[in-house]
Amino acid sequence: MHDANETFIIPIGPQHPALKEPGHFQFSVDGEVVTGASVRLGYVHRGIEKATEARNWVQNLYLLERICGICSHIHAMAYCLGVERLAGVEVPPRAQAIRVLTAELERVHSHLLWLGVAAHEAGFDTLFMYSWRDRETVMDALENLSGNRVHYSVNVLGGVKYDVDEPRAQAIFAVVDFLEERTRHYLNVVSSDAMFVQRTRGIGVTSKEQSLRLGEIGPTARAAGVPRDVRVEAPYAAYGAYPVEIILETAGDLEARFIVRINELFESYRLIRAILGDLPEGPLTVQRMPRKIPAGETISRVEAPRGELFYFIKSNGTDRPERIKVRTPTLCNLASVVALAPGHHLADIPMLLVGVDPCFSCNDRGVILDYPDGEHDHWTWDKLRQFAIDHYRNR
Amino acid sequence: MSALISLLLFPAGLSLLLQGLAYEWADRKLIARMQNRIGPRWFQPLADAVKLLAKEEIVPQGVNVVLFMVLPVVALTGALTAALYVPLLGFAPMYSFRGDLIVAVYLLSLLTLCTGLAGANTPGRFSVIGATRALTQMFSYEAPFMLALLGPAIAARSWQIGEITMYAETRWLVLTQPVGLVIALVGLLGKLEMPPFDAPEAETEIVAGALTEYSGRGLALFHLGRNVELVIGLSLVAAFYLGGVAGPLAYFAKTLALVFLLALIQTLMTRLRIDQTVGLWWRFGTLLMLGQVLVLLIVMAVHA
Repeated sequence: MHDANETFIIPIGPQHPALKEPGHFQFSVDGEVVTGASVRLGYVHRGIEKATEARNWVQNLYLLERICGICSHIHAMAYCLGVERLAGVEVPPRAQAIRVLTAELERVHSHLLWLGVAAHEAGFDTLFMYSWRDRETVMDALENLSGNRVHYSVNVLGGVKYDVDEPRAQAIFAVVDFLEERTRHYLNVVSSDAMFVQRTRGIGVTSKEQSLRLGEIGPTARAAGVPRDVRVEAPYAAYGAYPVEIILETAGDLEARFIVRINELFESYRLIRAILGDLPEGPLTVQRMPRKIPAGETISRVEAPRGELFYFIKSNGTDRPERIKVRTPTLCNLASVVALAPGHHLADIPMLLVGVDPCFSCNDRGVILDYPDGEHDHWTWDKLRQFAIDHYRNR
Repeated sequence: MSALISLLLFPAGLSLLLQGLAYEWADRKLIARMQNRIGPRWFQPLADAVKLLAKEEIVPQGVNVVLFMVLPVVALTGALTAALYVPLLGFAPMYSFRGDLIVAVYLLSLLTLCTGLAGANTPGRFSVIGATRALTQMFSYEAPFMLALLGPAIAARSWQIGEITMYAETRWLVLTQPVGLVIALVGLLGKLEMPPFDAPEAETEIVAGALTEYSGRGLALFHLGRNVELVIGLSLVAAFYLGGVAGPLAYFAKTLALVFLLALIQTLMTRLRIDQTVGLWWRFGTLLMLGQVLVLLIVMAVHA
């Protein structure tokens, strides 16, 4: 009986209610216990890195913003910081402060969104509805600031577009006050609701060594005690003037990840208040931003809500970039899901997935096509097009 | 003739189906309001049922077609038949004989069995896991739920629902057997696969569980069966524990109060994993219920 060892494989994705974006996970289960896991990505690969090479620096700002809807500002900010460094321009402090303000508001929005989604995956729809109701207030604040609820487009090369005047500042203060009270309530729920804790405490436990070995970053790693936060290690933009305290937990399980993200919300509220109370005067952009960026290479590291976001920008002196490479935080964290899954129950898998705060749109890389005879090949655009034509003709 | 009318139209049959839809709406609306949402309009469950009945039924490959088609019908039939022995809408049960409590409870379980079979019949991953979970859950709550309905039966010294209801009409058994009411209500949540016991149809884990591959007519019949079960379960619990159902007004007041309680429990709790469900039921549910029945028997022996 034992050698009839057919592994029963549960496919999570590409279409699955647990995933908000397509990705393919295969979990081999034995009853309700997972025995193996594998991941396949690439379903939302859009060729953005290649597309940046055909657009000029200003157009790329708008393109790169749209890599992700939840962390669009931080992508644009990383890009702008890198390009400004290559161009050798000094962005005025007021612009840097507004950039950081928007980044922290975005972090608040992203963590509240995550809280709701994580609660939904656990089956706790009430927390999902409440946290998303509260998220609407921060989206209203961002709309007040920039005119958009998503894709705020606050950055321009050399500064910011929108100013924060007194009425806007008061609106943001009101939002932060309201959200702080609600966040205290959510922290209470997440750490003391007996049934919710049953779904999160002791699940997905990652030790500090494991976390370092698997290459986790962001709140996922901080929940295991790894003190990695780009805002603290290598302060960028205005983080030198408004320092951040790193939030750490040691348990490394799902509950720790909840607590880290909620405590980061409190830290963001403190930062937002500090910035608004002390906004430096001055212009919003540099006097002149060159159209052709001098040749050179630079890297740009920022702390996205999900972890460290890494940009490599290479210029060849023209008005179009030579190469832009984006490494998003989810790519680093997904390996840990696959490594930790065996041994858990099937019901814990969506929770593990959501615990690393996956954002597949951010992280999809190029697609590797695997022929049955083991050949790997590089395809040109024309070959891909011909393949599609033949495929549909022969169906 | 009047038997036919009462069977097909009122209070069972068509009226029961409509009542099931109405109670489903009440449940969904209450949950939505508690979650600070607006919730569906009054005809939403009816619209869902009509739409599903009109959709194409896609039969997946590799399934036994006869079973696939027949199981939803059997499920709904079982639920509707159980209604014959239950005091609906405040009237006395249509048919009554000694031991009909057992028959009614068995017919109510038929729905879960059909769901499990339907899931096992389909060769899809999610369906098989959903079926396993549905049957596992049934094994865990069935014993305490039976015992919870048994408590009043022991107190009334009868296995006949009609007699138990008459006995309960003058006394509110919830006062003497509070544990029974709690277990019965929570058991009803388990039977209907409502949160926190919706692991068998956990949307974020196994899509829709055993019924994943059902669409159209089959799904509509399963949903209608579930709604009818809700009504019957609530009627039984209200009749046994909340002082009988003397007339339509008392019936609606009591069952809707129970719907409110159910909605409250559903809103407040997270979904339990299937192993946590089984652990909870077999450790707390059964032991508590056995304790209650033991106390009941001792008290009755002392009084006799």
